Amino acid sequence: MKTKSYLILCAVITIVWVATLTLVPAVSDTVEQLMIGFLSTYAQ
Amino acid sequence: MLRIVLQVIGIVVLFGAVTIITLKIDNMDEDGPSILFPGGELVTGELHSGPDPDWRFTDDIPVIELQLDNPMSSRRIFIMESDGKVYVPSGYMQSFLGRLWKDWAFQAAEGDGLAVARINGIRYERQLIRISEGESIDGIARKMATKYSGGAPDAVANIKKSISDGDTWIFELAPRGGATNEN
Repeated sequence: MKTKSYLILCAVITIVWVATLTLVPAVSDTVEQLMIGFLSTYAQ
Repeated sequence: MLRIVLQVIGIVVLFGAVTIITLKIDNMDEDGPSILFPGGELVTGELHSGPDPDWRFTDDIPVIELQLDNPMSSRRIFIMESDGKVYVPSGYMQSFLGRLWKDWAFQAAEGDGLAVARINGIRYERQLIRISEGESIDGIARKMATKYSGGAPDAVANIKKSISDGDTWIFELAPRGGATNEN
């Protein structure tokens, strides 16, 4: 992928993901549960 | 090929960074924490006054919301009652990830420890006092094992070892201005 297309993709991913995390509580809750699981496993 | 691999790695890193930054910023001024990320000042809920309640009611409550006054931030945390007093733990204190995750415990231990606990919608003004030794540790470890580790036979010993090793820190939620621990 060319650099310009890649940067556009990154920008789109960022905008869509930020909107999803802030507007859909079920998604952010699930992500946070996964992060707690990760930390509980690897923060030993 | 290398270019594609680097681009994929870049997107994965981007996802992680955007997730952490977004959730942290989204929660930092909220009235209470999210599941993982700290929130702001605990504002709503009746402010308790008068004598302390019988803290055994917390046996049925898995997590409470705990706010530090300095710096102002709040998080969800376990709670254990033992011998009429209440305690909160902070684990993973000796690992790199744990130190990032549980920075509040260092702030509480090094600062004034002033805190507000919101339990069942009622706010209690307290002072966090770290307990690292003494007879109270036995009761706290037993309660923690029963409540959060399913009462496994070796859980109490493991928790006591974790506390004595400094991997788990225990704080008493003491009344402000008057510690009730024996240390």
